[in-house]
Amino acid sequence: MSCPGFGELNIPSSRAFWDDCEEDEFENVEPAEKLQLKFDDSEAVNPIASEHMIIIESPHIAHFASSALLQDMKRICKIPAKDSALYWQPSKLQLLAILEDDLTKSGEVTELLIPYARLAKKVTTLTLKPKVDYKSEEINKYVDEIGIVRSVGPNLANVQELEAPNFIAGVAAGIASWRDQEQTPINAYVIYTDKLPLDGTAAQPVLKLLQKIGLSCNSSYVPARKDSSYLYM
Amino acid sequence: MLHLKSKGKELNITEYTVIIPSICVGNAAQLACDLLIASKQLKKIGSLTHPALIPVYGPSAYQHEPNEKVTSCELYESVEDKLLVVQFRAPWISRHTRDFQSQLVALLKGARRVVILSGSFGFERRIIEESPWAYRASDNFKAAHAEQLGNPEVIKWKEHTGDIIYGGGNGLQLFQAFNEEGVQVMLLFRYLLEGDNSTDASLIVRELNELCEDFLQLRSGGDGSFKLTVPKSWNLLFGNDVTELMF
Repeated sequence: MSCPGFGELNIPSSRAFWDDCEEDEFENVEPAEKLQLKFDDSEAVNPIASEHMIIIESPHIAHFASSALLQDMKRICKIPAKDSALYWQPSKLQLLAILEDDLTKSGEVTELLIPYARLAKKVTTLTLKPKVDYKSEEINKYVDEIGIVRSVGPNLANVQELEAPNFIAGVAAGIASWRDQEQTPINAYVIYTDKLPLDGTAAQPVLKLLQKIGLSCNSSYVPARKDSSYLYM
Repeated sequence: MLHLKSKGKELNITEYTVIIPSICVGNAAQLACDLLIASKQLKKIGSLTHPALIPVYGPSAYQHEPNEKVTSCELYESVEDKLLVVQFRAPWISRHTRDFQSQLVALLKGARRVVILSGSFGFERRIIEESPWAYRASDNFKAAHAEQLGNPEVIKWKEHTGDIIYGGGNGLQLFQAFNEEGVQVMLLFRYLLEGDNSTDASLIVRELNELCEDFLQLRSGGDGSFKLTVPKSWNLLFGNDVTELMF
């Protein structure tokens, strides 16, 4: 009986690069083309001064955003990270960035959104992560929680602060970090949720937090119907 | 982009030793820098942002600075010891790395000397009896540290001459970039394997201190030993406890 792979050296890939690159390929990597926001209206290219800029970042966020969050919102531009976009609500002077999780482009997208964050009076970020990413010495306390809500640093919503070694990563983290370095107000939240993409139950803590921070949104969410299920039927 | 807490526009590091980790196998070099920052209670003076760096934001990684926030690239300083430690907390994006690296070199080239820490896959060490350490140093670094590097009682490292350090991340490219600028630079790496690399991290710190106490200013208590502090961000390094529901 043979043993497949026996004696073969399985060389792990480099830890240095997030994207697919190895040490011996690094010299041949082409420099990146600069990303740009794609504006719907060519006259609206200047950054908007808002009362409140809200950034929501998560994997598979598009349907949740379009069905529960975007009432009376006008899309300003597409953000070059999967299906991400920036929306504007003139009546409340609110900017809402809906960001699909795309870490490869997150540093560059952060730079594209900094002009908006610079002009905003108040900035709030919300990152959604799977619950399995949450680290705690008392993890058994959270077994039955649908969502674990935390904030990075003090916040206005009386949410418990995130503890090391947990952290957030991505555009929301970039903007929060930039505002913090500029010593301007920032509220950064993270929800570790039981289910991504969100379903009706997992969306509840998210909607509650968004209402608390002043975003007009529905009180419930009905996920898109799928033709296939996870069950073998 | 450099963000200094002092709101200054540039770093004044003329007499400084700069320690930079490369993102290597087992993240051993970053762990070594973590130990150094926590043990010497270095002060965060700023951070760097660039499209090559995945943004990171979270609670402080160290007990001695509980109100700080972690970011993807941080700068820690000891004014007294003239030591600057760079810490990375995320892997890089390869297509932006060249630009970031050239900006990093431009920022730090005024330093007295630069030490890059790294690691390489253990199976790349072809002769098992050889030292688990290897180094690469610029000519001006060798000249300035001839006494230490030439002392076989202290230094048993092998000089690396290859073109690639497998598992060493961008350490060698960074070394070459500093060397081209005429900066005194040394790349020190250890052959190691993925796993619990906290021991490798402390060995890297101790080995570097052995070469020259002047690099790290880790002073012994008289018996040749010094105490390293483990940062709080090392809690749960391998994840949560197994949930009770499994049983």
